Amino acid sequence: MRNALLLPALLAAAAAQAGPFLDPGRPPVAAQQAAQAESRTRAASSGPALDSEALTHLRASFDAADVAHRGTLSREEARAGGFGWIADHFDAIDTRRAGRVSFDDVRRYLGTRGASAATK
Amino acid sequence: MSTTIRSVLRDARLAAAVATLAALAACGGGGGTAPAPATSQFLDPNHYSGTAAASLSSPNETTASTHGSLTLAGTAIAYTATAGHLSALDSNQSPEASIFYVAYTADGAAPATRPVTFFFNGGPGSASAWLHLGSFAPKRLATGVPATSQSVPFPYVDNTESLIDTSDLVFVDAVGTGLSEAIAPHTNQTYWGVDADAGVLRDFVQRWLAVNGRSASPLFLYGESYGTTRVPVLTRLLETAGRRVNGVVELSTILDYNSNCSVQGGEPSVVCAGFLPSYAAVGEYYGLATAATPDLQGDLATVRSYADSTYAPDAATWLASHTLPPPDHIAALVAFTGLPAAIWDQQFDMDYDTFRHHLIAGKTLGVYDGRMSAPLGSALDANDEPSNTFLAPGFIAGIKAVLPELGYTNPSSYLLSNDDAIGHWTFSHGGRALPDVVPDLSAAISLDPSLKILFLGGEDDLITPFHQTELDVARLGADAPVALHFHPGGHMTYLDDAARPLMKAELVAFYASATGAP
Repeated sequence: MRNALLLPALLAAAAAQAGPFLDPGRPPVAAQQAAQAESRTRAASSGPALDSEALTHLRASFDAADVAHRGTLSREEARAGGFGWIADHFDAIDTRRAGRVSFDDVRRYLGTRGASAATK
Repeated sequence: MSTTIRSVLRDARLAAAVATLAALAACGGGGGTAPAPATSQFLDPNHYSGTAAASLSSPNETTASTHGSLTLAGTAIAYTATAGHLSALDSNQSPEASIFYVAYTADGAAPATRPVTFFFNGGPGSASAWLHLGSFAPKRLATGVPATSQSVPFPYVDNTESLIDTSDLVFVDAVGTGLSEAIAPHTNQTYWGVDADAGVLRDFVQRWLAVNGRSASPLFLYGESYGTTRVPVLTRLLETAGRRVNGVVELSTILDYNSNCSVQGGEPSVVCAGFLPSYAAVGEYYGLATAATPDLQGDLATVRSYADSTYAPDAATWLASHTLPPPDHIAALVAFTGLPAAIWDQQFDMDYDTFRHHLIAGKTLGVYDGRMSAPLGSALDANDEPSNTFLAPGFIAGIKAVLPELGYTNPSSYLLSNDDAIGHWTFSHGGRALPDVVPDLSAAISLDPSLKILFLGGEDDLITPFHQTELDVARLGADAPVALHFHPGGHMTYLDDAARPLMKAELVAFYASATGAP
């Protein structure tokens, strides 16, 4: 009964896949299925969990700039590696005056600015 | 790295250096008012392709420029329109993609204080002609929506709501849309993914600012639809690179593909509570919602609250066990929306396709604007989506006519919508199969606490429903530097003649707030 009632909509949806351009459009089926499997274990983040995901993005940029895998960046390495923000805020981040900063230093600096609850 | 590639890179670096010097020279070093350049025409011989494997071998950066004037609130604003390509370069100054853009810049403005806004449509696969020709440029196409009676070509009229009094405007085609194409050895597909797309657009924005002497200008990014997924990633990347973004405008927003119950297609796997107020707005438009009062906004507030408190848990139960709530809950939904009880009984977690095919017997409603409808089997219903079917021919004809008016001529067809892009797109981002860019916004805000974000949208848009935007934005917390405004209108909210002036006023206030305090 459910299928019978929805048949026109399903047919229309099938036609839609071939016809109209949608924006935002529907991702390829494999991505949809992967997302549906994920959604059973992952909820939308907020608060500390969101801050942690935000930091993961910044961490990835830090690691990408750290081509020598030293775990720290100089001002010049940060600039050359595309993390110009670290270079621009270097003195404030490098509180130990070590000439190199770790990602923990970056996180600590973000926390002191109070931009984000969980970076504190 | 081969010697050949090295020498190509060196040439590219030299060209970039020369361009930067030229831009500096043009500024006169004093931020003065250099005379506007003369009108120039450009017949671009390149053929641009939007296929996944396409790869441009000889990009050019010649631009066409023309001049215009628009009078807003009694003040004439002289501007220059520039159309052409600029190559995005990677960190080694190696070319990535030849990006087509149209820029409207006010003549004689001081670069240090004059904002510049980059506009991006979505898709993925949509070109910027929607925002360029429909929204806040000095001229716009008059569509008459939600009516569907305007014939093609749509009138191209002076835009009394243009944002040119507030900001310079750069409309940017993403790779594989409009006339933008990857540069060899890259192919379009290289940049068809959430992260790769934002990366190449970061490089374009940086290069445009450098070449045009605008490195000190307040910077705004404006995304629509998938462009609201694209722009948060782009914002994070620019802030990471050290380029401050003053403001982000998100129109018709999808921040999280995992929370939009309809974007995945088929049976929803998450609750559709974010859609309910939009269904109510459309139901009221057609006079079908028996709970309607003369106060639409008050009604939407009621439905919004019902959606969160009652419909969301009911829909979660239905998703888990296909158990329907008590009949009075169904009756409330019928009263709010006008959608018959039998449809709720069958598909309680209501996706947009079921809603727009069943609200009115014998009619299909537009997914971009539920107020637009077409009788089943009519010409407007040919693609099962009357709003795009009505609008796209007018925008294709429009861009075909406008580019030559701007002095730019090219034999390739401008790709308004590229189905190949979405079919080949890498949606994974941040460790998830489908993008959630709320963390990108959060990261950008933590890098730049003075960043401000404005969310706009239409209450009759069924594809990126406004309440879903509210729910997603709420994740940023009560202190987030955000403002949200929604009006009767569709996905391209600016097309509505009543919504556009309201949006213009909201934008002007937003720009003032985002450029004010340091």
